[in-house]
Amino acid sequence: MANQTASVESQFLRQISKKFLNWSLLRQIMSFVLFIGLWSIIVVAVDYFHQIPTPKAVFLALFELPITVVLINILKSFFRVLAGFFLGIVIGFPIGVAIGYSRVLKNLIFPAFEMIRPIPPIAWIPLTVLFFVHIESQIIFLTFYGAFFPIVYNTMGGIAEVDIRLPRAAMSFGLERKLMLWKVILPAAMPQIFTGMRLAMGITWILVVAAEMMANKGGMGYYVWYNHTVMDYPHVVLGMGIIGLCGAICSIGINFVGNYFTRWRRIF
Amino acid sequence: MSNTNQESEVVFKNVGKMATFKKTQTVILKDCSFTVEAGKLNVLIGPSGCGKTTVINLIAGYERPDLGRVLINGRPISGPSWERLVVFQETALFPWLTCYDNVMFGPLARGVMSKESAHQETVKLLTKVGLEDFRDKYPSQLSGGMQRRAELARALINQPEVMLMDEPFRGLDAMTRKLMQEYYLKLFEETGATHVFVTSELEEAIILADNLLVMTNKPSKIKKVIEVALPRPRDWSMASSKRYLDIKAEALELLHEEAVKASVASGKLDVDLASGYKKPE
Amino acid sequence: MADRTLMSKGEGRISVEEVGKIYDPEGVNVCALKDCNMEIDPGEFVMLVGPSGCGKTTLLNAIAGFSNVTSGIISLDDEIIASPSMHQSPGADRIVVFQGGALFPWKTVLGNLVYGPMMQGKMKRDEAVAEARRLMDKLGLSKSCEELYPEKLSSGMMRQVEIIRALINNPKVLLLDEPFRALDNMTKSLMHEYLLEVFAITKKTIFFITHDLEEAVFLADRVLIMTTRPGTIKASIEVNISRPRSFKTLATRDFMDLKEQAEAAVKEETLKAFEAGERELA
Repeated sequence: MANQTASVESQFLRQISKKFLNWSLLRQIMSFVLFIGLWSIIVVAVDYFHQIPTPKAVFLALFELPITVVLINILKSFFRVLAGFFLGIVIGFPIGVAIGYSRVLKNLIFPAFEMIRPIPPIAWIPLTVLFFVHIESQIIFLTFYGAFFPIVYNTMGGIAEVDIRLPRAAMSFGLERKLMLWKVILPAAMPQIFTGMRLAMGITWILVVAAEMMANKGGMGYYVWYNHTVMDYPHVVLGMGIIGLCGAICSIGINFVGNYFTRWRRIF
Repeated sequence: MSNTNQESEVVFKNVGKMATFKKTQTVILKDCSFTVEAGKLNVLIGPSGCGKTTVINLIAGYERPDLGRVLINGRPISGPSWERLVVFQETALFPWLTCYDNVMFGPLARGVMSKESAHQETVKLLTKVGLEDFRDKYPSQLSGGMQRRAELARALINQPEVMLMDEPFRGLDAMTRKLMQEYYLKLFEETGATHVFVTSELEEAIILADNLLVMTNKPSKIKKVIEVALPRPRDWSMASSKRYLDIKAEALELLHEEAVKASVASGKLDVDLASGYKKPE
Repeated sequence: MADRTLMSKGEGRISVEEVGKIYDPEGVNVCALKDCNMEIDPGEFVMLVGPSGCGKTTLLNAIAGFSNVTSGIISLDDEIIASPSMHQSPGADRIVVFQGGALFPWKTVLGNLVYGPMMQGKMKRDEAVAEARRLMDKLGLSKSCEELYPEKLSSGMMRQVEIIRALINNPKVLLLDEPFRALDNMTKSLMHEYLLEVFAITKKTIFFITHDLEEAVFLADRVLIMTTRPGTIKASIEVNISRPRSFKTLATRDFMDLKEQAEAAVKEETLKAFEAGERELA
């Protein structure tokens, strides 16, 4: 009996605590606090790291951010990323469709791709100088190159993995063969095509930063590198943060478009 | 839907079919001959992996026989056609189209109906299968039972001569399955047409079938055709009738024989077990 | 033939009294079980059926000790194993065989079998191996598969191994959570006969949940029917079909009558669940 009254009380307490304290949310906020705390402690306590700016220094640097300069650099990076990305789609997507759809084309193109693909894009930097005169086009080539393979491979894979019953059903219903790609194959492959685009977007940001650091032609990568050379480390960290933010905005954007085109997948 | 569907007979004549799986060739069908009776509900039952789906694919025209012939009304089957439509395992609705657009797909793809009459027919069918309130939902938003009904509607709007049901109720829980069986029975008894229904569930097979075609293990052929002479319209109260029980006993015997053969052949289950139930001493 | 060392000695009475379970994901109370009562005698084979999502698994998890109850008491042989105030844990006296199977894929059949008794420190390795071999022999699993990894086994054989892995712990009760769900019908029917054989040899208390009525009536001494959420036991059907049973039992009048009786009881609940499901989606 004593047991049971105790249980009623504890249940009551449990419900109260659930109402007013959401532990899960609190713990998640704590995660940020812990991170910043750890950062401060390491910088202050470990002598070796004393050149790393403290969170406070970074926060204060925010107020002396050269806003126009940063905005111009952001726009430059965005332009390069989007140019490479869209070139990747314009060229990569049709190729992906072609080799996903036709075995002949796959045999002709795929093995050569497989040979080139393991070469990390950054290893191409020296050669790009030979292909393109303008530094701007060298950078865009690199971002394009980074976007190209994920788009080709995922488009191809998406098409190859379409459940065979779907085109079969469409065939039975009398759909003309020339419409099959447009009406059945592409919609069915859409989720994986967008997976490719998400990957591509991430890679173009990595590449644009690397290229800009080397190129001396502006952009957020250059901004970070420049502040490094003048040893203004709070602004280096700020620049890193801005790059992260830009990357996040791009991936939110692509998710938004992707979710629209594959809205039929959402289960609720 | 009226009873105007043309009723077609499908005949398998000494059909042989091989398949390559992981670089080894297996014979799926061997010297397989049988007749799918026109206007009847023909149920194929057999051990799993025995080639039931292959039979469906052959009739649908997705595959060609390696040996022998598959004939519809005396003519060989040359390829997929709306006259022979499949309701697939686990459903193969187009996931990017709404329920309504899925049903509209057939008529619009062939361009045989005006958009207006296709629309009317679609609404009529969706109402008939009880999905009128769900016409704008995507397949992923429908329950398993609703998906199957949408798929039935998608096929029925084309008024096919042969309906090929490839384990359509597999994956539904037992209770939803039962409701779907009753629903499908009613639909068959109202609309006619020739039906081929593949299943591995005996009770389902008997209650639905006019003809029960029991298949053997691979390489498969028809082991026996049992005529299910239960009156129509059917309902589950017949399941305790003497006739039903006799059919069930006969089919159980045949299927158990195949199950044991399969397990002994693959050496997977212990022979002791496969030899049947041992009395504890 | 009945094996003394395996037979339970009048142990394994489960009683469930007024059990309730409220889930509280993000403040939304979902009542999975309510005023649930049942009593399972030692050595009884009881099947629990009900529409999917009705709380069958919740009840089994509570008995197994995987999740707690919010009201009521569950006891095993007069020992309380679950109540709202206690922190429960799974025990070797009640072993669960799961739906998808839970053999360790990185261990061989033998390794899987000896794992339990060794982890509990009840046996040394060679004792455990000897016991495993004895059981395999007794319960019809050929020695040749001892060194195989689970992925090499057929689905039916995996279930056999799993049942033996449960029995090697000499549990008081065996809890089965739709263990044959993923099997094809033919293998399933062979497994049913196998389980009946195991039951005849061991006389363990078995609590088995399923939504397959044919399975339920074929195997059980008693079939319990659970209502749609909140789950509670609605009816109990005695299966007076003599043992041993074989597949031929499936085509007998007695069997069909009992199945129909169970079906009638379940149908109402299914329709309720069905409509609730469609409502949720609407």
